[in-house]
Amino acid sequence: MDLDKIEAPHAGASLASLVDGDVPRPRNVLRSKDLSLRFASKTILTGIDLPIRRGSITALIGPTGSGKTTFLRTLNRMNDKVPGFAHTGDVLIDGESLWARHADLLDLRRRVGMVFQRPNPFPMSIRDNVVAGVKAHRIARRGQLDLIAERRLQEVGLWDAVKDRLGDSPFRLSGGQQQLLCLARALAVGPDILLLDEPTSSLDPMSTEAIEHLLSTLAPALTLVVVTHNLAQARRISHETVLFFDGTLVEHGPTADLFANPGDPRTQRYVSGRIG
Amino acid sequence: MPILARRRAINGAFRALSSLALAAVVGPAAWIVIGVVASAVPHWKWSVLTTPTQGASGGLEGAILGTLVIVVGVGIVAGGIGILTGVHLAETSRVRRDGRPGGGLLRGASEVLSGFPSIVLGYVGYVALVVGLHWQFSLLAALIVLSVMVLPYIAKATEVALRQVPTSYREGAEALGMRTGFTLRRIVLKAALPGIATGVLVGLAIAVGETAPLLYTAGWSPANPKAALIHQPIGYLTYPVWTFYDYPSAAAHQLSYDAALLLVVLVVALLAVARVIVWRSQRHS
Ligand SMILES: Nc1ncnc2c1ncn2[C@@H]1O[C@H](COP(=O)(O)OP(=O)(O)OP(=O)(O)O)[C@@H](O)[C@H]1O
Ligand SMILES: [Mg+2]
Repeated sequence: MDLDKIEAPHAGASLASLVDGDVPRPRNVLRSKDLSLRFASKTILTGIDLPIRRGSITALIGPTGSGKTTFLRTLNRMNDKVPGFAHTGDVLIDGESLWARHADLLDLRRRVGMVFQRPNPFPMSIRDNVVAGVKAHRIARRGQLDLIAERRLQEVGLWDAVKDRLGDSPFRLSGGQQQLLCLARALAVGPDILLLDEPTSSLDPMSTEAIEHLLSTLAPALTLVVVTHNLAQARRISHETVLFFDGTLVEHGPTADLFANPGDPRTQRYVSGRIG
Repeated sequence: MPILARRRAINGAFRALSSLALAAVVGPAAWIVIGVVASAVPHWKWSVLTTPTQGASGGLEGAILGTLVIVVGVGIVAGGIGILTGVHLAETSRVRRDGRPGGGLLRGASEVLSGFPSIVLGYVGYVALVVGLHWQFSLLAALIVLSVMVLPYIAKATEVALRQVPTSYREGAEALGMRTGFTLRRIVLKAALPGIATGVLVGLAIAVGETAPLLYTAGWSPANPKAALIHQPIGYLTYPVWTFYDYPSAAAHQLSYDAALLLVVLVVALLAVARVIVWRSQRHS
């Protein structure tokens, strides 16, 4: 089982489908059902209904403060500890509530990885960064860590740049390289789903292209949810787009449709650049 | 240009004030170091390090070893408890439903403790441990009193160092599904290590220079430290500095200055180690 995780890039998905055999798994890997959320007395999200298709790339767009980050962070329960957090409705992963009594929070976060707006490598060597999560979850034995680090760095296209300085600090890498490193770190624990909060907004165009290219190769083995302010990016990489507005979900549909024929006047104005 | 001239004048005035402040800090320190070195070095004999004290003459072997034992002991006791206290204040007590930082009682107690003069702590130690528990003058009584004295300092330094660790490290670790304990050990404490180490070493430097609490708890012994926690007094370097200085003999005066020099060297060494740790960790991150 351990070895499978190392050999197949996205063992989470492939393994699970093997184990499940012919039992069909829900088409939607994630499903937000009438989710409302508040921090203390402040309501942030209202009645979000959103199915997320397995293996797709979903872009979350919307004006600043519309709740995209909050929604994204709910999907791996990063909001639970915010003071005053309370929610109604539910989010299902593979048909099970994120907050089910027997749900394993640590394993949820292994299955649902997250990449942040600002690259946040840990203060340890480049190699140790990649395998930090692998060590925490004891997915592999010590002797396999070097191999895992190499595979993941190759996968994100960073290997050639760092293979001679695996023991160095990551903070001397460029911002784009640091973000790729964070992606390698997130991929190393074999997630099914990756949440990305404006992953390229602090990067230059070249690095942005590298990350976008990588993301488009990760689906359909993984399901990606990407928050972005860059509408062109949403059009380039996503299959589906969701527009948030003031804590509500305004429109959701195939990316091409949503941009070509927005159904809601607010979507129309947002995608034509008149609000936001 | 009048505006430029005024700016220059203000600039100059501030620079002069800062230099004055710098002199006020560096001056006394340099004066002490120079005074001690100038009085001790001319008649310095290396045999002081290896000769036991006889009355108020001879060497300082017992006091040197005693001070080292006390430093190591305080490092273990106060370092251990202080770091754990700091970790608790910064990490464990962090989560409260209303979002305020927890651990108020512990923090308050620690702050009150740091306000006591060391001589009061020494006297309390004398009454409670030396007399009350019949430990007599002893290493354990000294360790406890000195540890209580520097503990708040180490706890505070640890708490501050932990709070300065970027939240992005914690978030990244949390999002990877790391346990809190794992994150603390592998990432947060590592990032805070320079600050914590500096706190411990400065705390030890403070402890090394104490006299009053030791007079009350350790007593004094010219002999080398015994392998006993209680019932045996123990020597330390501040004793000859404090006591022998008032003796009429030249040999006692010399010993007093030698002890002062050794103390200065020890304190500077502790602070230097702290600086090296900070410098090294900055280079690697
Ligand atoms: N921890 C918190 N406590 C209280 N309010 C919060 C908290 N986090 C976010 N909010 C509020 O929730 C609302 C939505 O914020 P969120 O960060 O989700 O927006 P966003 O769509 O990601 O915006 P941006 O595009 O600027 O990143 C904002 O009004 C914000 O002030
Ligand atoms: Mg956001």
